[in-house]
Amino acid sequence: MNITLFDTIFYLLAFLTLGSAAIMVFSKNVIYSAVGLLFTFFGVAGIYVLLAADFVAVVQVLVYVGGILILLLFGVMLSNKITNIEITTETLHFLPASLVVIGIFVVLYRVFITTDWNPVGSYNFDPTTHEIGTLLMTDYLIPFEIASILLLGALIGAAYIARKD
Amino acid sequence: MALSDIIRDNINSLNYFLPELLLTGLVLLMIIADLLLKKERSPWMSIIALIGSGVVLFAIINQYELGSRSIFNNMLAVDEFSIFFKLLFLATTILVIFLSIASVELSGRSVGEYFTLLMILTLGLFLMASATHMITIFIAIELVSIISFALVTYLKTRRRSSEAGLKYAIYGAFSSGLMLYGISILYGLTGTLNIYEIGEVLAGRDTNSLALLISVLLIMAGFGYKIASVPFHFWSPDVYEGAPTPITAFLSIGPKAAGFAVIIRFFNVALSNYDGVAEQWLALSNINWPQIIAVIAAATMTLGNLVAIAQDNVKRLLAYSSIAHAGYALLGVVVLSSQGVYATLFYLVVYYFMNLGAFFVVIIFQDIIGSEKIDDFKGLASRAPIPAIAMGVFLFSLTGLPPTAGFIGKFYLFAALIKAGPEFYWLAIVGLLNSVVALYYYARILKAMFFDKISEGVSPEPLKISPYYVTLLAVLGIPTILVGLYWAPLANLASHSVHFLPTF
Amino acid sequence: MITNAILILLLPLFAFVVQIFIGKRLPRQGDWLPTGAIICSFLLALPIFFDALSNYEAGHVVVQQSWEWLRFGNLEITFGIYVDNLTSIMLIVVTLISSLVHIYSIGYMQGDERYSRYFAYLCLFSFAMLGLVLVDNFFGIYCFWELVGLGSYLLIGFWFEKKSASDASKKAFITNRVGDVGMFAGIMIIFSTLGVFGFTDVFTKIADGGLSGTMLTVTGILIFFGAIGKSAQFPLHVWLPDAMEGPTPVSALIHAATMVAAGVYMVGRTFVIYTEDALLFIAIIGTITAFMAATIAIVQKDIKRVLAYSTISQLGYMMVGLGTGGYTAGLFHLTTHAFFKALLFLGSGSVIHAVHSQDMDDMGGLRKKMPITFWTFLIGTLALSGVPPFSGFWSKDAILASALEFGMNHSAYMWIFVAMLLSAGITAFYMFRLIFMTFTGQAKDQKKFDHAHESPFTMTLPLVVLAVLSVGTIWWGWIEHLLAKPELATYATVAVGAVEHSAEHGNAHLAHTIALFSSIAVAGSGILLAAVVYHWKKISAEAWGSKLKPVYNLLWNKYYFDEMYEATVIRATLWKSRIFAAFDVKIIDGFVNGIATVTSKFASLQGAIDRVGVDGMVNGVARVVGVFSNRLRTIQTGKIQTYILMALFAVLILFVLQQF
Repeated sequence: MNITLFDTIFYLLAFLTLGSAAIMVFSKNVIYSAVGLLFTFFGVAGIYVLLAADFVAVVQVLVYVGGILILLLFGVMLSNKITNIEITTETLHFLPASLVVIGIFVVLYRVFITTDWNPVGSYNFDPTTHEIGTLLMTDYLIPFEIASILLLGALIGAAYIARKD
Repeated sequence: MALSDIIRDNINSLNYFLPELLLTGLVLLMIIADLLLKKERSPWMSIIALIGSGVVLFAIINQYELGSRSIFNNMLAVDEFSIFFKLLFLATTILVIFLSIASVELSGRSVGEYFTLLMILTLGLFLMASATHMITIFIAIELVSIISFALVTYLKTRRRSSEAGLKYAIYGAFSSGLMLYGISILYGLTGTLNIYEIGEVLAGRDTNSLALLISVLLIMAGFGYKIASVPFHFWSPDVYEGAPTPITAFLSIGPKAAGFAVIIRFFNVALSNYDGVAEQWLALSNINWPQIIAVIAAATMTLGNLVAIAQDNVKRLLAYSSIAHAGYALLGVVVLSSQGVYATLFYLVVYYFMNLGAFFVVIIFQDIIGSEKIDDFKGLASRAPIPAIAMGVFLFSLTGLPPTAGFIGKFYLFAALIKAGPEFYWLAIVGLLNSVVALYYYARILKAMFFDKISEGVSPEPLKISPYYVTLLAVLGIPTILVGLYWAPLANLASHSVHFLPTF
Repeated sequence: MITNAILILLLPLFAFVVQIFIGKRLPRQGDWLPTGAIICSFLLALPIFFDALSNYEAGHVVVQQSWEWLRFGNLEITFGIYVDNLTSIMLIVVTLISSLVHIYSIGYMQGDERYSRYFAYLCLFSFAMLGLVLVDNFFGIYCFWELVGLGSYLLIGFWFEKKSASDASKKAFITNRVGDVGMFAGIMIIFSTLGVFGFTDVFTKIADGGLSGTMLTVTGILIFFGAIGKSAQFPLHVWLPDAMEGPTPVSALIHAATMVAAGVYMVGRTFVIYTEDALLFIAIIGTITAFMAATIAIVQKDIKRVLAYSTISQLGYMMVGLGTGGYTAGLFHLTTHAFFKALLFLGSGSVIHAVHSQDMDDMGGLRKKMPITFWTFLIGTLALSGVPPFSGFWSKDAILASALEFGMNHSAYMWIFVAMLLSAGITAFYMFRLIFMTFTGQAKDQKKFDHAHESPFTMTLPLVVLAVLSVGTIWWGWIEHLLAKPELATYATVAVGAVEHSAEHGNAHLAHTIALFSSIAVAGSGILLAAVVYHWKKISAEAWGSKLKPVYNLLWNKYYFDEMYEATVIRATLWKSRIFAAFDVKIIDGFVNGIATVTSKFASLQGAIDRVGVDGMVNGVARVVGVFSNRLRTIQTGKIQTYILMALFAVLILFVLQQF
């Protein structure tokens, strides 16, 4: 097998993503988990870059790392004594879960290597932002608008739940 | 297509999108109205919601005259099929608004957000019924799910309600994840997300059936979650029990029916070829999906019914029964004929009446006696005859005994199944056995209400049932019987609504 | 018009539902509700009737509308309303007489224990009858047909504490069922060969040759079986006299205007499907019925039974009218008969109400005590006897003419006309016998006579109304005009050849003239004879009775029909059931007992097996399901992690399942 630089970078990023995801899931400390999540996001953003999806990668960093994760950390830190209490959940059904996950991995792996995928085209490192913007306003206008309604609804719901009556 | 054409299509589509636009406008209006009317629990929000629903209803009916069309660059379809479902959803919403007005559980809560969220949820259901693109399907399902989380948690001070909401959210995220994964595999196989194009690509090419199978299974996880079919049903009993009862009633019909709309459209368009002469679809050769649905249907019916037997809480029992009913309704999807689809549509309408009715009786009793336990229902027939008799009608119908609507609904389903040939005889037998099991646990409620003595220490005084309740019971109960006797108009509507774009 | 037709049908139904559930709690026990409903139906029927009157060309259809009722694949059953001239007349007849009977009952049933229930039944019956008249297909007519049967069962057996009443109601119901089986078979033949139920569709398809020859004859006769039962034709007439056990207004409703007329109506409605042979069959049955019943009526002592046999006899007349091709005559007689027979029944009810007896030997001389009843009753009698210018004369004359014309064309069947003419004379005789025995002469039972009084207003008003309707000569010509005979050829989509009008026109005139004079002559002689025997007592009825003992006995025992059925059908049925019962007792019970003995012996030997095996069997199944159910319930742990794991696992399983 001929390992190119591209492959090397990919595997590094994949390792970063999965490894930090594992830390996030298995860590008993919320702060550790949050930091694990941070690196997972970064890893995913890196893979986007590798796939020439520049806009998505930037959005990933901006929204997830810069927005959601920071919000999450604020939440954790502002909550009173959160680190002192044992708030992590116990790990249930470790063995059966592992078996099922392994089973699914095997299945998916087999599926992926035996399938002739329908490739979209060759790599093209042109910027995608303009095209995405156009698509959102033309072909994908409706999903885009529905998403706004979804956010509005989520906002109302969250505000209600968080509010003290 | 040139950019200007796309934009022109979007603009032209607006005319066909009127019900949804009106609904969005209504939501915005309600948000503003809520701000202005704040402070007291005023009936204005429900009145605005009802008037708005009425306007939307007209807009929907008007769509029949506009004719069928694919809109917004094939993102959504306006056809008889989607109009049928929109009518069903709006009817559900209107009735749930009435139920909510009556509900004691919800009293003392701020109603503004409640009704606003309900209308957004309705919008999501509309979109589910007409979505023809995996992106719209996904985002519509998400819209419905996320709003549902908030509504389930609406009794936030009640522990069970919050817990139910949280579980619902986690489970929802999980199944959305699976579904997205499935969609991405499908995209990888076909290079498109439009379900018509997916159908064309899959039919024209010998695709790897293994990848297709896993993607369909994963997508089914998302759809199955919406209709609460086994094995994606786990959330439903906990959520149904914890949610405010009007919302439970809504969840057991609205999103479920919407799930069926998506399932029927997706499977019949993307994974089948239509044979116009025989009025029959043929599943693609590289995936035997009717078999998958058949297994799911059988498991859903059986599990729902068997577990329902052991329940002591009526609301939870109805939750399991509604799982079982999703299984029955799936029977019509399995056979792939227009008759089967028609039977499913018919059944959903029938189910609307009988299930809402049963939940409504639970609401009444819960408000008055403060309990949902079967044991506390003992002797209620003598204390409150009208709701008890109505409950009898609804439960008979849910069991599928003549002369109720449930019987006719089941009859059409089984008839379609048997007509499809010996391949699915086993499924018909499973369904039939299940109906017998169902009789057992429905009869338990009836026995408690009609034959058991009132428990010690409970006063045998007649309960006061307000005329408002009686009217609502009549609205639900009379059609349940009427459709059992004269179902031609409904049957016509259902058979008319089998037509969806653009296979016809 | 369509709204009218629907309302006519639904008003009584609505009144019935309300009355049966809350009638007792309504003021006056709710009698006004059904009465009002049926009167409204009558008022609504008027516009329909006038529409028919004002456009009375043949085949005019006032309302025709049908809705799909159910559909399975290609099978589509519609339900609809069809109102043509015939229906519009029937609507008037049924609603008017039913209204009058309702009003009359307010007086007659006053103080009855189940007063409110009575009105509910009456209303149900009216609903069923109206449905039967309005419906547009065979399937629907069969449904309402049975509903009419049910209504009559409830009404005849209304005083079910009386054994005779409950027996009579059962007899009526069961005898009717015998005929209905034939009708059902006929309808099924039609449906299986033609695939449709609607009258017009069926007629069209038959006209196009979808069903013909012997098969069509058989179908026609089978459908006519239904009419034999319902219209009390020979040999299923036995239920009708017994049905007099019901309250008298019920007799008037059921046995004059509605239920018994249903059979005739049905034959009229489906007239075009009867082949010549089937029509001949109808004519012969009608003749036998008419003659036989008339002769029985001569010797009856019970005032209502006389009327009952006269009803049977008159129904025979109608069948003869239809069977000999006199469609107009038969249905015309149905209409006139409905009014004057209702009048007679209600009049007799008034008499019974006054003297508390149905036996004519207890009456006599009532004319002075009950003038209104007498005069109206006399009008009814004159109408029934066929004396001009009363209504019965016109219609009976038409039937006789039709029978004579038929006899002239087919000389082998001249006896039909002769028998009918004879029966007409007998009719006049026994009706005047009734008048003389009841209203004139000396009171036979002084105590009852003293007690007698004129009935209350609600009872006499209907009598007067009906009497007026039995006179109105001019009016009847219009009705006759409405009932133009339909031809099968009208329905043919392809021309099936010229409509055979035959050269009978010459005969028709001649027949009419002969029938006119001969019918007046026989009616006159019948009345004269009755006067001689019962009024002037020149001839002793008793002496002649003993001289002709065998004939008298034969008539008194109604030709031994009941005995015959008792000896054959009923005996055989009982015998069969006894055998089955014996089989049940000896064999099955023995078998079961044997098994039980063995089992319990076995069980007592092995107590352990007993618990699990014998009575545990049933519980066992339930327990297994229950255990299973509980197991499954434990899956629902409430832990979201478990749920997700199981769902994933299930996906895996489904995948694996699909692979193999």
